[in-house]
Amino acid sequence: GRRPSVPTTEKDVRSGIPECFSHVPMAKRIPTSHANKDVHPAVLAVGQQMATFFLNDSISRLRATLLAFRKVIESYETPKGNSLSRHFVPHVLNPQIEYLTECRPMCFAMGNAIRLLKGRVNKFDIDTAEDEAKEDLLEWIDSLIIERITLAEDAIARNAAESINEGDTIITYGRHRLVEKTFLEAKHDGKSFDVTVIDDPFDRGGQELAETLRQAGIPVLYSPNLGGLRPKVAAASNAFLGGEAIFANGSLHAPSGTADVAMAAMNAGVKVIVLCETINFDRDRVSVDSLTYNEIDPERNTADCFRLLFDNTHDKYITGVITEFESGGGNSPAQAI
Amino acid sequence: MAPSQASHAPTLDSLIKSFNSQTLEASIESLLFLLKRRQVQGDECAKATAHILRQVVAKSKWRDVDQLLSRVQSAGSRLARAAPMEPVIGNVVRRVLGLIRDEASEERNADDLVSETASDIQSLTPSTYPAQRPAPVPIRPSPSAISTGLQVSKSMFNLLSVADPGDSPMTGASTPMSQAQPASVHALRSEVMDGIEEILDEINQADDQIAGFAEIQIHPGDYVLAYQPSRTVERFLVKAASKRRFTVIIASLESPSHTTAEAPYATLRKKLNAAGVKTINLASNGLMAYIPRVNKVIFGAKAVYQNGGLLVDSGSCIAAQAAHEYLKPVIVLCPVFKFCPEDPLDEVSRRELGNPSTYVSYANGPAVDALDVENTVTDYIPPELVDVYLTNLGPQTRHHLASILADHYKTEDIGFSLQLDEP
Repeated sequence: GRRPSVPTTEKDVRSGIPECFSHVPMAKRIPTSHANKDVHPAVLAVGQQMATFFLNDSISRLRATLLAFRKVIESYETPKGNSLSRHFVPHVLNPQIEYLTECRPMCFAMGNAIRLLKGRVNKFDIDTAEDEAKEDLLEWIDSLIIERITLAEDAIARNAAESINEGDTIITYGRHRLVEKTFLEAKHDGKSFDVTVIDDPFDRGGQELAETLRQAGIPVLYSPNLGGLRPKVAAASNAFLGGEAIFANGSLHAPSGTADVAMAAMNAGVKVIVLCETINFDRDRVSVDSLTYNEIDPERNTADCFRLLFDNTHDKYITGVITEFESGGGNSPAQAI
Repeated sequence: MAPSQASHAPTLDSLIKSFNSQTLEASIESLLFLLKRRQVQGDECAKATAHILRQVVAKSKWRDVDQLLSRVQSAGSRLARAAPMEPVIGNVVRRVLGLIRDEASEERNADDLVSETASDIQSLTPSTYPAQRPAPVPIRPSPSAISTGLQVSKSMFNLLSVADPGDSPMTGASTPMSQAQPASVHALRSEVMDGIEEILDEINQADDQIAGFAEIQIHPGDYVLAYQPSRTVERFLVKAASKRRFTVIIASLESPSHTTAEAPYATLRKKLNAAGVKTINLASNGLMAYIPRVNKVIFGAKAVYQNGGLLVDSGSCIAAQAAHEYLKPVIVLCPVFKFCPEDPLDEVSRRELGNPSTYVSYANGPAVDALDVENTVTDYIPPELVDVYLTNLGPQTRHHLASILADHYKTEDIGFSLQLDEP
């Protein structure tokens, strides 16, 4: 009702989606002029970057969101007769979250962080001084970024790099920060190993990974698509896969194609190791197939082509998960949240 | 077709037309040229091979059966060497060789029956002739042992298939025809050429015959995943669309840079949509995401090996594996002429590599320079991932493939591919 033009364009954009996928959400670009006036400029910018997939993976989106929320908190002033603990979340934070969700469905890490942030605000006494509360929230955001993102990344890469043995051939799919960092760290440790990069031809992140590794002096076999996967997987000693999220049932939410690689590797008797920060774990949701939680690629939803961004890897295709806390089976680290 | 265009890129049709006006050697050379440039692929290789062997039988000089066999073998192995990734060439050559042996033994029987009884010949042949030709490695029971358990109707193939025991000697193979009369050479020539015509008919009709089984395999409301639909698969789906309402999900490895102005499989989709069948064109390599929604997976094979393993377009294995994990049936469309009486080589040597520059730009030289890029064009699919082999003779399981092979090839010719190495 408020913005009559938006629902009609949404209908047009979604009209090409086949009926059996019509429940799956899709990112969309919202002109900044159509956004709620309460949306903070920093959040507006982040929303645009998410809608255009400039910010793509879950951790980049989480970090950008937290930094934008930091700006929101800094510029927040409690209206007279209100307290931060009662006013901030419903009147200031929620419009930001709604806008971000409209730009692109939230990733599970963002959901976790927002839940933690709201809990933090709710803990304040009704008469906590505004400055004190703001200071506390800013510090809390900074430590969340350091602990759950920066240090987590280092710890996972270190653990994973240690698990690489001399002479290994590691197969990976697409390009994932943690996997890339792991390889570079292992190389830095003086280990010699080979990497097989299987790419998604519709994304081609793997090509950048292959070039980066190559420049670091790691021998790389690059396959531009999933063709000939069986023999390539069979020749590997381990598969390292990055994840966007891990659900309560231990299944992995990752870029489309990951499940095919994991399944092929497991069937060939190759260990499948998933690298994932615990902030990406979702202990409230369970997913048994790729159509429960997914997103449609907004660039490819015409009558001529259709594509889902993610797939769901059943935990039977996962040997272990390396997180910043521990390395274990698919399910146990879920308790770590 | 404009002549200038024809001379620029000769098609198979124009090539076949030119056979009659060319010398045999010129015809073979021009086909070799097309094969090496991959301008003739897949089913067309089978047709082209049959056409050229027909020319060999008609035009080359031969005085007895052994000479004819060796003419066909030598022309056949040149073709097979030109396109080592097209096993159908070898299959057609074997079929023609078997045809010649059958025709020769029939004639010989007719001659010999005057003096000897058929049963005498049957007991004589195996012991008399094996020494003349290196015996092929026995890889399965002899055809006569299998043929008793045959389920397959042989009406169409009575000329080509192994005759019932008692009709003629099973290994009437290298029967020398040294005393053959010119008249019988003439008769043999026309019989063999008729037989090759029948093989050609079989190749041409196979797609339609397979499509005839579409309404049995596809049910109303199905979601059918068609992986890189070949012409055989297209005809199958279009036929099914005339009877059923279902949805076709088309998947392929092709990346956006391949797609020109024309959207992929536009013609097929137009036909299916016109018949009321919905189509979804996947722009995705990974198929595990979609398989829960799919009822069955269908693709065509480039070749079926003796063990039931398949040579397929690259990426089909992803589809088969994903379907297998979710217990969805994998239906492979494969005309009988694609069944090879050979074992697959190991996966690595059997796969074909394509041009990597379609994926990697060599313009950014230094970055790509040291990269090993591997773009596979074919996959091998192990038999345990296949549920139905849908042939022009009907649906088969891998347990019955041996009888199809026994029906269509002679034991002597199974080793044909082994002769490829000889010049």
